[in-house]
Amino acid sequence: MARILPGEDLLIRMQRDLKRSLAADMSSIKWSMIIDQAKCAGCHACTIGCVSENKLPPGVVYRPVIEEEVGTYPNVRRRFLPRPCMHCQNPPCTKVCPVQATYQNQQGVVVVDYTRCIGCRYCLVACPYSARTSDFGEWYTTDTPDAEGKMVGRAKASESYEAIPATEYGKQWPKRGHGSPVGNARKCHFCLHRVAVGMLPACVTTCVGRATFFGNRNDSQSLISELLGSPRVHRLKEELGTKPSVYYLQ
Amino acid sequence: MFDDTPGDALTTVCEKNVSRREFIKCSALLGGSLAAASYLIPLMDGGERGMAFADDLMGNAYTHHLPENQIFSACQQCNTQCGIKVKIQDGVVKKIDGNPFSPWCMTPQIPYTTPMTEAATIDGSLCPKGQAGIQALYDPYRLVKVLKRAGKRGENKWQIVSFDQAVTEITAGGNLFGEGPVEGFKDICTLKDPGVAKALSEDAAAVAAKKMTLEDFKTKHAANLAYLIDPDHPDMGPKNNQLCFMWGRLKDGRGDILKDFFGKALGTVNTHGHTTVCQGSLYFTGKAMSDQFIEGKWDGGDKFYWQADTGNAEFVIFVGSNPYEANYGPPLRIQKITEGVVDGRMKIVVVDPRCSKTASRAWKWLPVDPINGVTGVAMGMIQWILENKRFDARYLQNANKGAAKADGEPTWSQAAWLVKIGENGKPGKYLRGSDLGAEIEKRPRAKAEDGEWEFDAFVTLSNSQPVLFDPNSETVPAEGELLVDTEINGIRVKSVLQIIRETANARPLKEWAALAGIDPDDIVDIAKEFTSHGKKAVADIHRGVSQQTSGFYNVLSWYTLNALIGNTGWQGGLSKSTTYDRMGSRPGKPYDLGKIWKKAIKGWGVSTIRHGVAYDKTTLFDGYPSKRTWYPFCSDIYQEIIPSIGDQYPYPIKALFLYMGAPVYSLPAGHKLIEILSDTKKLPLFIVSDIVIGETSMYADYIFPDTTYLERWEFAGSHPSVAPKVFPIRQPVVAPLTETVRVFGEDVPLNVEAFVLGVAEKLNLPGYGKDVFGPGQNMTREEDMYLRMVANVAFGDKEDGSDKVKAASEEEQQIFDKSRKHLPKTVYDLERWKKIIGPELWPHAVTVLLRGGRFQAYKDAYKNDQLANQYNKLIGIYMEKFVTTKHSMTGKSYLPHADYVACPADCTGKLIDDKSQGYDMTMITYKTITQTKSRTSGDYWLSAVYPENFVEISSHDARRLDLHSGDRVKVVSASNPDGVWELGFGSLIPMIGKVKVIEGIRPGVMAFSLGHGHWGYGARPVVIDGVTIPGDARRGAGFHANAAMRVDPVLKNTTLCDTVGGSAVFYNSQVKLMKV
Repeated sequence: MARILPGEDLLIRMQRDLKRSLAADMSSIKWSMIIDQAKCAGCHACTIGCVSENKLPPGVVYRPVIEEEVGTYPNVRRRFLPRPCMHCQNPPCTKVCPVQATYQNQQGVVVVDYTRCIGCRYCLVACPYSARTSDFGEWYTTDTPDAEGKMVGRAKASESYEAIPATEYGKQWPKRGHGSPVGNARKCHFCLHRVAVGMLPACVTTCVGRATFFGNRNDSQSLISELLGSPRVHRLKEELGTKPSVYYLQ
Repeated sequence: MFDDTPGDALTTVCEKNVSRREFIKCSALLGGSLAAASYLIPLMDGGERGMAFADDLMGNAYTHHLPENQIFSACQQCNTQCGIKVKIQDGVVKKIDGNPFSPWCMTPQIPYTTPMTEAATIDGSLCPKGQAGIQALYDPYRLVKVLKRAGKRGENKWQIVSFDQAVTEITAGGNLFGEGPVEGFKDICTLKDPGVAKALSEDAAAVAAKKMTLEDFKTKHAANLAYLIDPDHPDMGPKNNQLCFMWGRLKDGRGDILKDFFGKALGTVNTHGHTTVCQGSLYFTGKAMSDQFIEGKWDGGDKFYWQADTGNAEFVIFVGSNPYEANYGPPLRIQKITEGVVDGRMKIVVVDPRCSKTASRAWKWLPVDPINGVTGVAMGMIQWILENKRFDARYLQNANKGAAKADGEPTWSQAAWLVKIGENGKPGKYLRGSDLGAEIEKRPRAKAEDGEWEFDAFVTLSNSQPVLFDPNSETVPAEGELLVDTEINGIRVKSVLQIIRETANARPLKEWAALAGIDPDDIVDIAKEFTSHGKKAVADIHRGVSQQTSGFYNVLSWYTLNALIGNTGWQGGLSKSTTYDRMGSRPGKPYDLGKIWKKAIKGWGVSTIRHGVAYDKTTLFDGYPSKRTWYPFCSDIYQEIIPSIGDQYPYPIKALFLYMGAPVYSLPAGHKLIEILSDTKKLPLFIVSDIVIGETSMYADYIFPDTTYLERWEFAGSHPSVAPKVFPIRQPVVAPLTETVRVFGEDVPLNVEAFVLGVAEKLNLPGYGKDVFGPGQNMTREEDMYLRMVANVAFGDKEDGSDKVKAASEEEQQIFDKSRKHLPKTVYDLERWKKIIGPELWPHAVTVLLRGGRFQAYKDAYKNDQLANQYNKLIGIYMEKFVTTKHSMTGKSYLPHADYVACPADCTGKLIDDKSQGYDMTMITYKTITQTKSRTSGDYWLSAVYPENFVEISSHDARRLDLHSGDRVKVVSASNPDGVWELGFGSLIPMIGKVKVIEGIRPGVMAFSLGHGHWGYGARPVVIDGVTIPGDARRGAGFHANAAMRVDPVLKNTTLCDTVGGSAVFYNSQVKLMKV
């Protein structure tokens, strides 16, 4: 007998789950993420995929992966911890915002309304997971040469991959240097612009180890609900009572 | 093969802007048929999207998910060559994701029939380098116009010249640099008449074989001797051979154009790739093992290798291979391993001195000694498996095809074949029927006009009686005893497996373990596990095994181990790559692309790297040792090309063309190349195709800017671990940033194809211009070749056309055109493209182009527990050819089977002992996932994650050497006691790196990751047209210690090398760390 081959990639199942939730009662959705640390290969594809998807400038990272070595030779292994925004159900960050620019949306995603954010950075300090960073308006291409006519040069490079912000929250933001999101607090938003069109967040689709799962935890048929039944489930800094929507499998 | 489903019509209905009620209706109609093309519920349109969120935060400006904003292609940030989906807006690449049709990016990938409207919303996975490809494309340091050196070689002073001027100068030659006359291509490539070439070639071979005297040759060919490099050594071939083409990363399609240009149109035999800097000895062991017995000779071996069928194996030993960070792993293999290991299908072992990310997920990590460790493990395992009878005897007893077939085995081996033992006790040639008095049989050759060949049977022992057999017979099966040591007719013979057994028994298991530096119990544990999963266990080997002075025998030992369980061709065993045919020479195919070379000459003569020929079979033979090593069993010996030019052996080279290569940076002891490249006497003309001025191209006379992988064509091929038959396509996704040039009266982007066409036009070379493929069918632009190859692939590999892909619908054809609207006419013109392919095949080609290639369904790659794309051949584990061939440095014959061969050795086989001279650390390298060796240092997103590399040592050594993390140390070695790169013009770069103390490395070993410490590639200033363009420090961060790798003490200008399999040696150098 031939082995049973997988019928579909889990990304396909999760995308189908996602569309089912979008097609049903929107108010019952609670978006959640699960990260399986045993499957994480420490490849940083999610970090860079997110940087590229959201055109993040130097100093702004939504989803770093923290690497650590455990044990003593020869009993040693390496451990990886991808750390997006936890999208807490009891978020400390939203409470300190003086202008209500950051809040939990109906589906449990902690968002930042760039048009309201005044860049005070209270939320950066309030987040126990260091999940927020400030956009100080920096450019990756600042120190590269203009070299006009001789090489591609700085202007062409910066115009091509830095000047036009990504369509975060499905909106076209002004050319970089002319307003938001420069000056704002920035953070992971579960790629709501992708979710809105029936796609999974970029860190999920680009996860080479299939270690990142996304879906509606209120949908009992979803893969994410299945995985939440695992005895390996835990959350970061549970003791703070922040109730993250991001879970880990150890 | 082609996934035809009834889902398409339904999908079309569902794709329109429909209400949610209609959605549900459609979904109900589809029922549970998830395998159908439309297995995702169609996405919502913009209006519904806004409503769905009921949140004024959200807009609908996101458009990357629309098919008209995407082109599917193939990545080349490393050689994994994953499928990519490039999202474009306003003619600019905005995002790169994995191609969901590609088996690289999803397991299994989506069905090939999935409509593009749906595939556009599905992203496959992609590694961080692939994500950062945008920055390789829009690199500020990229060249856009041709550069000619304005100073001395390597001074990094340049002037911009027109494409036409550069091509004219290169072809015509002259006093190009004010340093005296330089020969152009027209002076070098003088032999053009195929008839003359053939006559010279045949008689030169006769002279080398001593079947014709040199005098007779000279008399007969008096009129044509001027074409030869040296009439006294006619077997060196024509002067054309003094033009050399070497390449770094080159795949199919582009590879065909370049290799045919140099090899066929210009007629040089010197076209050499870079295989040996990667894993040459792996490929060339594969070549030796795949030799078949054809018409009386061992021949026909393919340059290839096997890897584990990762997604179906139950037990994999990764030896010197690291699929989590390199090794054609991410994204192709990681998912299969993580899901396998965590979800309980699979167990893995990692054999590596360093605790790699792969090792972090292993059941056992075996931190072997980098010197001799991997063979120690293999020999110990072979011994345990043979002594405990844990091998697959049923498989190994099959001595020929017939016996294998009867058992349902896809392959067979020589395990039961009998070998004659010499008086010295050493195994020699196979025992043959004629040795036992049997008659030699005359048989007709496959090509009747070639006459007959003599068949002399091989012999195995069955029931203590010799049995004569034909290895290829399908009708007369032959099986034999496995462990034989006896005399037949007074001839001492042993079976091949017995020879291997004795080899493995040369030391007790605990001594093999001690050699490897590990616990003998671990060897027993993994040998037990390896033999507990039937055919679903496999040893997957790579650079750590091959890049050693004993690389060939290390690889052969591990592949012999795989042969003991007969796992080749089985699901979960060893797999090979399979691709669709692009050349079209088979009957029924649309375009026979090889026919354009009918009028060209066939390159001939000994190559500058002396490959594929034995030294003593040439006129240069002058006793042992030869001046430099000869390589009868391998090719593409990268580290020999430039050093051979330096020694002008076997003859001087007059012009070198380097394509997408960085030998100075990437080769071990690459610093030795700088002096040779700087010497205009030894290398009069040096032309490079590059995208940035790199560590090697900085020594060029001319640099022709190339298009990046996002602006051009190429066909990415496959990897052994990819079980489905595939054909990934790289195609232009945005307008090239290089300038537009004119060739054959057409406007084309400046790139390497333009160079080929420009030279071809100037020299009126055969194979280019109007009507070469037939009336009205030209070869005047790059796509004239590429689109015809796409047509061949779309047609498929069945003569009657039944393997053709489905034609693209009218809607998909519109998507195709819309998604390319931003491309300039120099690259894309719908009518021109259609005309090249022809109206009939065009819609089929569109299907393939839209999907970024052609990919067989994952489930169709397996049949009855075996791989559908089968190998079905003999697996060679005893190389008779080796017994009869002599090593040019020793005059001794080559060892014909797996064995432990001690490292590190020089090219004469003498062991090198730098350790006793105080060089106490063995240096190894590895690849971090964020860097490719030589072309990612300008990807700033990547350097943000891992800005610099480190001198990684164990805490044990840190204590011993009183070093701490953050200390700066200089890396010095016996062949580089100053620890510097000498760039010329007084420029020195010391090899100084920051220490990082870790637990995950074997004591006595120092590791560093490749890809950092650049001095070219924008890291340092260059001058163009008198203007200094400053460097960017980020690109030079970290250090690069290849110059500390051991120089061969005999050859003195190249790295240590495996003289059998050709590998450049990365893991056998001893170094010392000097605190600074």
